[in-house]
Amino acid sequence: MKKRTYIYRSFERFWHWTQSLLIILLALTGFEIHSTYALFGYERAVMIHDVLAWSYILLIIFTIFWHFATGAWKQYIPTTELVKAQFQYYISGIFSGAEHPTRKTSYNKFNPIQRLTYLAFKVLIIPIMVGTGIIYMYYMYPESVVHVGRLEFFALIHTFGAFLLIVFLIVHLYLLTTNDDPVESLAAMVTGWEEVDVDPDEEHKTHMQYAVDKSIAGYYRLDLDGNYIDVNRAWLDLYKCSDINKILGQHYSITRSKEHLKETEELVARVMKGESIRGIPSIRKCFDGSKGKHILSINPTYEDDKIIGVEGFVIDISDISGVQEQIYHSVRNSDAGYYRINLEGFFEEVNDAWVELYKYNSQKQVIGKHYSLTRKKKDVQDLTDTFNKVLNGEKVPSQLVNRKCKDGTYGKHILSINAVYEDTKIVGMEGFILDITNLDIKKENA
Amino acid sequence: MSENNSMKNKWVKTLVYATVTLLPWIVILVVMNDLEKRNEASDYIKIVNYEKKEYLAPVDHGEFEELQKEFKTPMEVTEACVSCHNKRHSEIMANAHWTWDRERIRENGDTIRSGKKNVINNFCIATNTNTWKCTSCHIGFGYKDKDYDFSDYTKVDCMACHDMTGAYEKEPLGSGFPVDEKQAYSDKTYFPPNYNYIAANVGNPTTENCGKCHFFGGGGDNVKHGDLSSDLNHPDKKMDVHMDVGEDGNDMTCVDCHKTENHEMLGKLYSLSSSDEGRLSCTECHEGDVHQNKILNRHNNRIACQTCHIPEYAKGVPTKMVWDWSTSGRVKADGKAIKEYDSLGNVTYKSAKGSFEWATHVKPEYVWFNGTGENMVYGDIIKDTTQVLKINELYGHHDDPKAQIIPVKTHRGSQIFDPVNNMLIVPHVYGKDSTAYGVGFDWNLASKVGMEEAGLPYSGQYSFIDTEMYWPLNHMVSPIEDALQCADCHAREGRLASLDEFYMPGRNYSSLLDLIGILAIFGALGGVIIHGGIRLFKRK
Repeated sequence: MKKRTYIYRSFERFWHWTQSLLIILLALTGFEIHSTYALFGYERAVMIHDVLAWSYILLIIFTIFWHFATGAWKQYIPTTELVKAQFQYYISGIFSGAEHPTRKTSYNKFNPIQRLTYLAFKVLIIPIMVGTGIIYMYYMYPESVVHVGRLEFFALIHTFGAFLLIVFLIVHLYLLTTNDDPVESLAAMVTGWEEVDVDPDEEHKTHMQYAVDKSIAGYYRLDLDGNYIDVNRAWLDLYKCSDINKILGQHYSITRSKEHLKETEELVARVMKGESIRGIPSIRKCFDGSKGKHILSINPTYEDDKIIGVEGFVIDISDISGVQEQIYHSVRNSDAGYYRINLEGFFEEVNDAWVELYKYNSQKQVIGKHYSLTRKKKDVQDLTDTFNKVLNGEKVPSQLVNRKCKDGTYGKHILSINAVYEDTKIVGMEGFILDITNLDIKKENA
Repeated sequence: MSENNSMKNKWVKTLVYATVTLLPWIVILVVMNDLEKRNEASDYIKIVNYEKKEYLAPVDHGEFEELQKEFKTPMEVTEACVSCHNKRHSEIMANAHWTWDRERIRENGDTIRSGKKNVINNFCIATNTNTWKCTSCHIGFGYKDKDYDFSDYTKVDCMACHDMTGAYEKEPLGSGFPVDEKQAYSDKTYFPPNYNYIAANVGNPTTENCGKCHFFGGGGDNVKHGDLSSDLNHPDKKMDVHMDVGEDGNDMTCVDCHKTENHEMLGKLYSLSSSDEGRLSCTECHEGDVHQNKILNRHNNRIACQTCHIPEYAKGVPTKMVWDWSTSGRVKADGKAIKEYDSLGNVTYKSAKGSFEWATHVKPEYVWFNGTGENMVYGDIIKDTTQVLKINELYGHHDDPKAQIIPVKTHRGSQIFDPVNNMLIVPHVYGKDSTAYGVGFDWNLASKVGMEEAGLPYSGQYSFIDTEMYWPLNHMVSPIEDALQCADCHAREGRLASLDEFYMPGRNYSSLLDLIGILAIFGALGGVIIHGGIRLFKRK
C-alpha cells in the first residue's frame, strides 16, 4: 500500500541540503587547492574552504545533537539483514523489474546498504575529513595543539577522502533514479513528504495503539473476571486516578456507585456473551468520590475465537453543552468509530464502525477524501474551526455534532479529537465517535 | 479547511521549504561576499617603532672657526672633525666599515676574524693584492695593502658618509683618497674636493652616501647585490615601497632602517658576514599579525617576509648573474684586449675578466635559512672539487624549526683554484705590473704572486671550478599589489619547486593517489552509466 508520509523532518532536510552544498563547495575549492584547476583564485579558495570547513563543523555539532535528541541515530544502526538481498536487487533484480527488497517507512527509511553507507559516511569519512582538515590548518605551528611534523600523510588521506566523497555523490545521485519516482523522491527531500510503501496491518496497529495512547477518549480493557488489565492516560484523567497501579487488577465495580453498578453489571454480562454495545450512557464514580457522565462502548475481546474479556472507550460528556439529560440517558447501541485526518484535511483512515455509521460500503470510498464531505454545508465551518484549534496544539473537549452520511441522511454523534504527532510535529488529527442518533429522547425520558 | 487558512498554510510551507533549501546558499554567498570585502580591506599597514627623522645637522658647521681654515689634505678635515667630535673616531675604528673584518666563530668552533680582508667571492675574487683598488670603498685614506696602519685615526674618512653636498668622491684607484688633481676614469672625470665647502655641509648619511659604495660593489652599479642599485637614490613605489620618493612615498633612507648607535649599524649581509648577530629584520617596524588573513600570518613561521614581498630584484639597473673567469684571456689578433657588449650595452666579455651574464627583473631563488652561514676565507680547503662549490653557505633545512625560506640572488661563476692543494686561488688580477692577470693574461704568474701575498701555498697548477654565491635579498621591497600570490608557490611548478623536502598544498600530490581517485570517479560514472543503460534497455 502506498501512502503519503511525512518522512524527512525540517532539520533533516535543512541539514541535508546544507551539507550537500558544503560538500560540493568544499570539493570545488579543495581541488583548486590541490591545483587541479583554477577557479576562485588560490587565496580565495583557501579562505572559502576554511570558512566552509568551520561552518560544516558547526553543522555537525548541531546534527549530532539533533540525532541524539530525536533518536534519529537509530536509523543508522547497521543491520546485516537483507544486505545481500539489497545487493542482489541492485546487481540483478533491478533489471528484471523486481520489487525493492526493503520498504521505506518513516520509522525505517533507509535500506540496509544505505544504513551501512551513511553510517560509514558519518562516523568514518566525515570525521576523518574533519580531523585531517584541522591538522591541515594547524599542523606546522609548534605552539598549536595539533602540531604534527609532516603534513604529507594527513594531506593524502584528506585528498583520498575527497575522492571518496565525489564517488559517493555520483552514486548517491544515481541511486535516486532507482526509486519508483525519482522526482518525487527528490521533492521529498524538500517537502519532507513522500509516497512510501506501508504495511497496512503494521500501520493500522501502530496507529490504533497511538490513537488509544493519545486520545482524549478513555480506553479500558477488562479480563473475564471483570478486573482492569489496561487503561489509557485519558481514562485515568476522566476517573481522576493519579496512578495507573491503583486501578490495574481492580474489579470494575469500584468505578461505579451502588445505584449504577447493577446497570453496568448487566451490560458486561451481555458483552461477555458476545454482544457489542456501541454506545451507552453511564455515570462513573471517580477516585476522588465525584461523579461524571460519559458515553461508553463495550465490546468483547477475543483470543482464538474465545472471549477473554471486554474493552471499550469512554467519552466524557459531563461538560458538553447542549447535551440534555434525556439525551444522555437515551444513547443506545452506539459503537466507537475511529477516524484519522491528515494536515490537509483528507481522511487517512477510518474503522468499520465509522464506515457503518456514515453508511459507506468500504473504507476505500472515504480514504483520501476531504472531511467536508461528511458535513452539512453550514456545519463545515464549525468543524474546520475545531480542527484548526487542534492543529495549533490546543486541547479540544469532546463535541456533539451532526454528521452527513453517504446516502444524504444525517446522524448525531459525540466525537473526540486529538492531534497526531510525529515527534513534536503535528501531522494530522484523529479521534473516536460514539453514535447517539437512534436514541429515543422521549422514551428515555419516560 | 477554509480557503483563507489553506492559503496561509501554503505560505508557511513555502517559507519552510525556502528555509530548508535556500537559506544555506544565501548564508554561504553572503559569507563569501564578506570574505571578499575583508580581503580588500587588507591594505592597512601597521607600523611600530618608526618615526621619520630629519638628518640635517642641528648646527651650521660653516660657522665653526675650526672649519674656516684652508684644508690641504682630507686628513686635516678628519682632525678638524675629531677636535670637536672627540671619541667618535674610536667608534668608527671599531666598526667593520673600518676594520673590514669581524670576529666570528666558525662551524668547527674556531674563532677567526673575517671580512673583506680575507673572504673570497666569485666576482673579483679577493681584495688581497688588489686592495688599493678595492679600498676606494674603505672609509679611510691610504689602505693600499695589508700593511695599512689601522690605528691612525687621521686616516678615517668622515666625509665619505657625512658629506651632504654630493660633491665628495674618492678616486676609483686611489686607495681610498679623493683625487688631488683633476683626473678622468673611463667616462667620468674626478675633481679635487672643496673640503671647506664639504666640511660646512655635513650631516647624517643619506641614501646617496651609502649608495656610493653599497650600490657599486663589484665595480659597477648593482653588479653584486641585485637589490641595491642607484635606482634607490630616487625610487618610485614599484621599485621600493619604503624609499619611494613619490608624492605619497615613504621616502625612507638607508639609516631609517639601519639604525646606528655609536657608529655601529644594524644589519649586515650573509654574503660576507655570517654570524647571527646585529641582524635587522622587517619585524623591527612590522610587528605581530601584519596580515588580515590569518593564514598569511601563519606563513611567517617558515617564510620570511622578503620571500613574498620581494618578488623580483634588479628592477632597474641590471645585475650580474654569471661571471666566468675561465673564458678570459681571449685577445684580438694584434694582442689587444677584447670588450664585448650585449644589445643593452652590458659588457658580456672582457679579456681581463672573462664572460658575464646580466639580468633585470630577476625572480629570486629560494633557500632555507636559520640565521647561520659560512663564508670561504683564504686557505680554506675545497672538500669536493667535482661539485659546484658553494662559496658561501646559508644553513637551514625544512626540519630545522628556526629556518625560514628566504629569497636569494645566486651569483654563479667559474673561478681559478689549485687542484693539487684543493684551495681557491686569490690571484693578482689588477695592477700596472705585468704579473697582474689583467696585464699579462698569465694565470700562473697571477696565482703565484697572489698566493704568495696571502701567505698560501701554490702548487703551480691551476684549474677552474664552478661556484655559487648566495646573496640574501632584503631591499627593493615591492608594494602590496606586487607581492607574490598564493599560487606563485602553491602550484605544481611554482617558485618553491626546488625546495621539495616537504609537502606543500597545491604543489605536492601523490600521482598514484590521484590516479586511483580519478579512476574511482570515472569508475563510478561508468558504473552508473552502464547500470542505468541496462535498466533502460531491460525496461523496453
